[in-house]
Amino acid sequence: MTEARGLDALPGELMMWVLIVSELMVFGAGLTAMLAMRLTDPASFAAAQEHLFQTGAALNTVVLITSGFLAAQALAWRRAARRMAARAALAGAAALGVLFLWIKGAEYAAKAADGIGWDSHPFFTFYYGLTGFHAAHVAAGIVLLLLVAWRDAPQNIEAGAMFWHMVDLVWVLLYPVVYLLG
Amino acid sequence: MTGLSRPLLRAWAWLTGLSLAAALATLAPVPPWAVAAATLLLALAKARLILARYLDLARAPCWLSGTMLVLALWAALAFALYAAPALTP
Repeated sequence: MTEARGLDALPGELMMWVLIVSELMVFGAGLTAMLAMRLTDPASFAAAQEHLFQTGAALNTVVLITSGFLAAQALAWRRAARRMAARAALAGAAALGVLFLWIKGAEYAAKAADGIGWDSHPFFTFYYGLTGFHAAHVAAGIVLLLLVAWRDAPQNIEAGAMFWHMVDLVWVLLYPVVYLLG
Repeated sequence: MTGLSRPLLRAWAWLTGLSLAAALATLAPVPPWAVAAATLLLALAKARLILARYLDLARAPCWLSGTMLVLALWAALAFALYAAPALTP
């Protein structure tokens, strides 16, 4: 048996990898721009960051990686012809996605109650822009997970799970820069 | 539910542990630059686990190494931008 080389070695759909790399570049550029803007006034950026709900963000990290585990497990189960188990795992992954958005919504509501908006400080412009754009991907991913739970061909589940892992991957890179590097 | 994939379960356990370590790193009595370096390294470790296990890139080691190299360069840039104000007089 010959070993796959080049693009053929990539697991899953090539276009999903194009999407994953594109999204990483977009979020990477946004995070780099935020850190570059921080150079102009690091002290006020650190003070603004202290308003963030770090515990909620840490909890959301665990929520997303657990959801990612369920999505990956769903694909393994579907390939083993365990359709109901795969569907249950996808529904669980989507439910954890909803929990992520609920925690994120509580975080935004707390900021609004404190009178903090996207224009309160340049840090919050980046904070709302980056986390809001990510949350939009989470919302799209939830729809996608439920769609592939319904139309559960293995290649559909693989594409849905890959999208979800991309959302997960972006979060683990976004979390330290936005929430921890004060 | 039975039949859980052991590699996936192991990856999830590592990801949870690394996430906890990142959260606790901010409480450590060390200089901010050390916290920044630690949290970025932990983020890279988590990214590698997601790529290798969840996205199954462990089956394509060249692509995994190449992707990690790009992410490591980005993390180095992020750290340089973070640490630069402390280094300037």
